[in-house]
Amino acid sequence: MKLYLYGIIDSSSMIRESICGLEGSGVYNIPYCDIGTAVSEINQPIPGVSKRLVLEHEAVAEKLMEKFTVLPFRLLTILDGRENVLSMMDDYYGDFRDNLDGLRGKVEFGIKVIWPADKVKSCIINTCGTKNRNAHLLDDSAERRFVREKFEQHKIDRAFREKADGYINAMDVFLGKFATAKKLETLRTENLLLSAVYLVTKDNQDNFREAFEHVRTARKDFKYLVSGPWPPYHFVILRRNSQPRRNSGLTAMFDKVILQPTLVGADKTWQ
Amino acid sequence: MAMNSVVETDFPETFVEEMEKLQEALPRRIDANPKNVEKGLAKLVLTLVELVRKLLEKQAMRRIEAGSLSDEQIERVGETLMKLETKMHELKEVFGLKDEELNINLGPLGDLM
Repeated sequence: MKLYLYGIIDSSSMIRESICGLEGSGVYNIPYCDIGTAVSEINQPIPGVSKRLVLEHEAVAEKLMEKFTVLPFRLLTILDGRENVLSMMDDYYGDFRDNLDGLRGKVEFGIKVIWPADKVKSCIINTCGTKNRNAHLLDDSAERRFVREKFEQHKIDRAFREKADGYINAMDVFLGKFATAKKLETLRTENLLLSAVYLVTKDNQDNFREAFEHVRTARKDFKYLVSGPWPPYHFVILRRNSQPRRNSGLTAMFDKVILQPTLVGADKTWQ
Repeated sequence: MAMNSVVETDFPETFVEEMEKLQEALPRRIDANPKNVEKGLAKLVLTLVELVRKLLEKQAMRRIEAGSLSDEQIERVGETLMKLETKMHELKEVFGLKDEELNINLGPLGDLM
């Protein structure tokens, strides 16, 4: 029997609330020591990631999050039978325990900010791009012209990046105040100024949202997206510090399934 | 389906468009199937060449900025960078690759370039 895995939870008790999983199957807990894995049974192969799968998986993770600390699994994490689930938990119990302790009472918020990159760039070009401070590079040869153009572009790119960093630092002053950990990505595209995830204690959710409103009000010409609260997808780390308690013969398989950083989160620890 | 988590934005289309750009540009896997293995490999190799080319270019710009290159050296750097760029254009055309395709998503580490 195939089991679809939703997440590791900090409880070995039965899930009392009725939670509907994939294919309408009930979600239940497979306990191991003082933790458990929330699973449901699936009878037919799942063709791939679909919108419906994402929503159903997420709905279960959120439902679990109401009662437990959850280390959500990556979509389409499927194991063959209860024994394999127990074996995986046996091998990685220490890691799971550490993560559950570190993430207890915390949720994740996502923030994305789009800025008017074209305008910012034009402004930079107008202010510094036209000033030719490198007269020594002016020359008629194609090689020199090429270098000069590259150099001007280099200055513009640097100013663009500095401007982006400045805005992000300013936003992070407010948002970071209420977060226990964060991951910020700058300029994944020219327009996408910031793509960030913040780990926030449940008690601080309102403060974090308030801080976000403050940021939004400060720069009305930027476009914002906030999402959450999510299970802490990006803040789970498996350091592989758990020593398998027994040689299950399944470690290699779990290496592939469990230790991908994106499986249950990402690569960095909470602060 | 009750969902407690929310996604709030006044500009959903803009964000979708931007995220789609990322998805299109940065596939998580190298596309190397029998039909286009050549292009898949070329993409990988050219991505690495492009990375080295950009590093060279950045280093050259830093040295020019610091004033540590003589006129003759600037001329030579210009010639080298020009030739490299021209060659890259040619190779990209041969394999039908766009600039934005020459990148690799390194998962949690972010994008290569």
